[in-house]
Amino acid sequence: MTEVLQLENLSVSLPRGRTGNVPILDALNLTIGAGEMLALVGESGSGKTIAALSVMRLLPQGAEMSGSIRLAGTEVTSLDDKAMRAVRGRDVGMVFQNPLAALNPSRTVASQIQEAWRVHQGGSVRAARVRALELLGEVGLPNPAQRLDDYPHQFSGGMRQRVMIAMALACSPKLLIADEPTTGLDPLIARQIMALIAKLRREHAMGVLFVTHDLSVVEEHADAIHVLYAGRSVEFGGAKEFFAHPRHPYSAALLGAVARLGQTRLHNISGQLPEPELRAAGCRFAARCAYRQPECETAYPPFSANGGTAAACLFPLPTAGTSHAAPPELPAAQNFAPQLEAQDLTVRYAGATKWFGGGSENLPALRDVAFALGRGECLGVVGESGSGKSTLGRAVLQMIPYEGQVRLDGHDLAPLRGLERRAQRRRLQVVFQDPRESMNPRLRIGDIVAEPLRLKGGLTAADIRGRVTALLGRVGLNPELAHYLPGSVSGGQAQRIAIARALAAAPDVIVLDEPTSALDVSTQAMLLNLLKDLARSDMLSYILISHDFAVVSYMADRIAVLNAGRIVEMNETASLIAAPQHRYTAALIAAAPQLRPSLR
Amino acid sequence: MSDRILAPPPGLPAAPLGRAIAWMTRRPTLAVGLCLAGLILFIGFIAPFLYPPDPFAIHPDHALEPPSWAFPLGTDELGRDELGLLLSGGLATMVVALPAAVLAFVTGIAYGLAAGLGPTWADRLMMRLLDAILALPSLIVLIFFAALVTLNDTSLILLLGLISWPGLARLVRNETRAQRGRDFVLAAEQMGAGRFYIARAHLLRVMAPVLVVNGTFMIGDAIFALSALSFLGLGVQPPQVSWGSLLESGLNLIALDPWWLILPPGLLVFMSLLAASLTGQGLLRRWEPGR
Repeated sequence: MTEVLQLENLSVSLPRGRTGNVPILDALNLTIGAGEMLALVGESGSGKTIAALSVMRLLPQGAEMSGSIRLAGTEVTSLDDKAMRAVRGRDVGMVFQNPLAALNPSRTVASQIQEAWRVHQGGSVRAARVRALELLGEVGLPNPAQRLDDYPHQFSGGMRQRVMIAMALACSPKLLIADEPTTGLDPLIARQIMALIAKLRREHAMGVLFVTHDLSVVEEHADAIHVLYAGRSVEFGGAKEFFAHPRHPYSAALLGAVARLGQTRLHNISGQLPEPELRAAGCRFAARCAYRQPECETAYPPFSANGGTAAACLFPLPTAGTSHAAPPELPAAQNFAPQLEAQDLTVRYAGATKWFGGGSENLPALRDVAFALGRGECLGVVGESGSGKSTLGRAVLQMIPYEGQVRLDGHDLAPLRGLERRAQRRRLQVVFQDPRESMNPRLRIGDIVAEPLRLKGGLTAADIRGRVTALLGRVGLNPELAHYLPGSVSGGQAQRIAIARALAAAPDVIVLDEPTSALDVSTQAMLLNLLKDLARSDMLSYILISHDFAVVSYMADRIAVLNAGRIVEMNETASLIAAPQHRYTAALIAAAPQLRPSLR
Repeated sequence: MSDRILAPPPGLPAAPLGRAIAWMTRRPTLAVGLCLAGLILFIGFIAPFLYPPDPFAIHPDHALEPPSWAFPLGTDELGRDELGLLLSGGLATMVVALPAAVLAFVTGIAYGLAAGLGPTWADRLMMRLLDAILALPSLIVLIFFAALVTLNDTSLILLLGLISWPGLARLVRNETRAQRGRDFVLAAEQMGAGRFYIARAHLLRVMAPVLVVNGTFMIGDAIFALSALSFLGLGVQPPQVSWGSLLESGLNLIALDPWWLILPPGLLVFMSLLAASLTGQGLLRRWEPGR
């Protein structure tokens, strides 16, 4: 096997503030052979994207790089800009996370693929068009001949990603760099994209550097794994050995934090990734590690292989029989008195109004949905994007007009007006997907959490301060955060603040609209556990909306599967997973990461 | 992360003067704008009380004299002290222009919020009305109404204030429409917030930078509009003078080349506009670096 990419002692530092450069990535060594897919895994802030960008030499201005990068035998660190431009696209193709942002919205996909080809290969437009057609067919776009002259916005998210891949393949690169190409896609589509990349690298004997934060995505197809933590490698080796027996405590914790079908308790990784300025001299994970010993903090541990993968740990986990203690089974919440009921819930969004045609065409986003939610129950709502699951949440919250009934404690909410309506709506709270978007960026965190208390009225300023402190404590945050602006906290902390605010309104039902899909897996695990504990202690009912079947199955007592605005199946979580009745449910379950045998 | 927020930014000298200079060199636009604005406000409000001579005293034997020790900026054709007139005219200009800008500011925000938060039909109606108002050239409208009403400070404030709000109203309405569907506004509604609360606690706070920037522009515009009206004889009425009317009377005598009657009032109007513009630009760059 020939090497297409070799990184030796690659270190990168980036400018930060006025203080000069801060090291982001330290001494990375990795090798990718032809036809091999290596998954570079790490949380945000681990340096994985910087590693991918340095291969393309696309680092931000002021970045300093040392070490060696050999692409198919050529040292690229010493190439001048012109030679480097020739390498990009010809020897290395790149696929980004957000294909809509990476494609030019004002040009057809054919012209963009042709451009990628002609810049390097020259030749006529006609030849390039033939090549574009061939590529679109190869990436599995249906009817490629008809779609050549379509614009990016006319494609769905998954199809756009296929177009991006076609562009990256235009000149048959030796290496494909894929930076989170499936993040933000539905699980069904993400699986198809993964399978496509896996197939293409075999057919073209192309190396793939697959950058991701989500281990479950690469479990099936990756040949090798390389785990980064706080800018340094902690473990690398063959994927089979890795998934069977991760040896570094961080890798093991990361695997344990991935929500999988059938799991009863997710593993938390307590603490946070250290800031680049504050990285320790010894093992960087030591501060969060359950197996920490004093000698861990003196020097960075050397890699030891010992049969399995190589781990930079003085006390690696044994290769046989991982030592995950099975968490105690939690008692299932019982006897749900109906609290919230929905009947014949239908929502129509106005289509294009015709000025002279009279009237407008209405497209129902939700059709005749009915369910009941018991006190203390968690109802999961799953479905692909566009299935109407967010619409369902918004209708229940009385945010949008709907037909049918939503009853809270037996009282229909739709006819209520004025203060009565406001008082009842307050009992239904919401946690949105993007925690930053759900807070006014100019309000301090204390004021954000206090907002429901102030709106309710009847409390003194001292009362409110006390309650805010207590609420922040309940969601596991330092009360000192009350003085900060939301921009200065992490995504996971911001989502906790959003939960504290929802709790401040003393709600009966909280609609969780994709509460964890913007977060890293380890943060997601902590948040889901927090929500579970709160539900039990406060008898809170949840409607959990998510495209992630594993997350929903972890949280929900019952699951409703939504497809094209209708509930196609609704059942107890365990029964639904064991015996899905509907074809669509079965497909969603198949796309979710399964529990590994070793943990089952 | 918290340590970084609490620590003072490194590399700043400790002395207050040194710190002020460092601040100014980082934001030259804002610093120059604020200095000019301070100067204009000083001329308008404080200087008239520091300069004792009566500006309206007539010295017939000193008519149209160039600057001298007795008359630092010379005299006009009646022998009145030009510096005294300029200072008095500055006060008269400020007394009308500032309240007019405030009136326009408040009207624009209220109209924009009402349209942006109201039902769709009200929004459409209010916006079409705004289009109609914006389609008329404001100076012409101003002249038209100025010819109809008795001109005094109150009527001038109302005229100028009620003519210059539509631009801001449209801006506020568009921002309101853009912000009111955001998650934090929806969350506030879910907690039982009414429209007034949302406007006050969320929308105005998010828009604050844009509003302050536009507020500074409006002050400059009001000074300019009043000066233009006065230049045409429709602003501040005799015997009171303003920068616009002083400029006009100086220009009437242009054949005699009295530069001391033309240059200073013109420069003051120009400086007011520049102060407002630079301050606004500087604030915009500081608060919204992306724009």
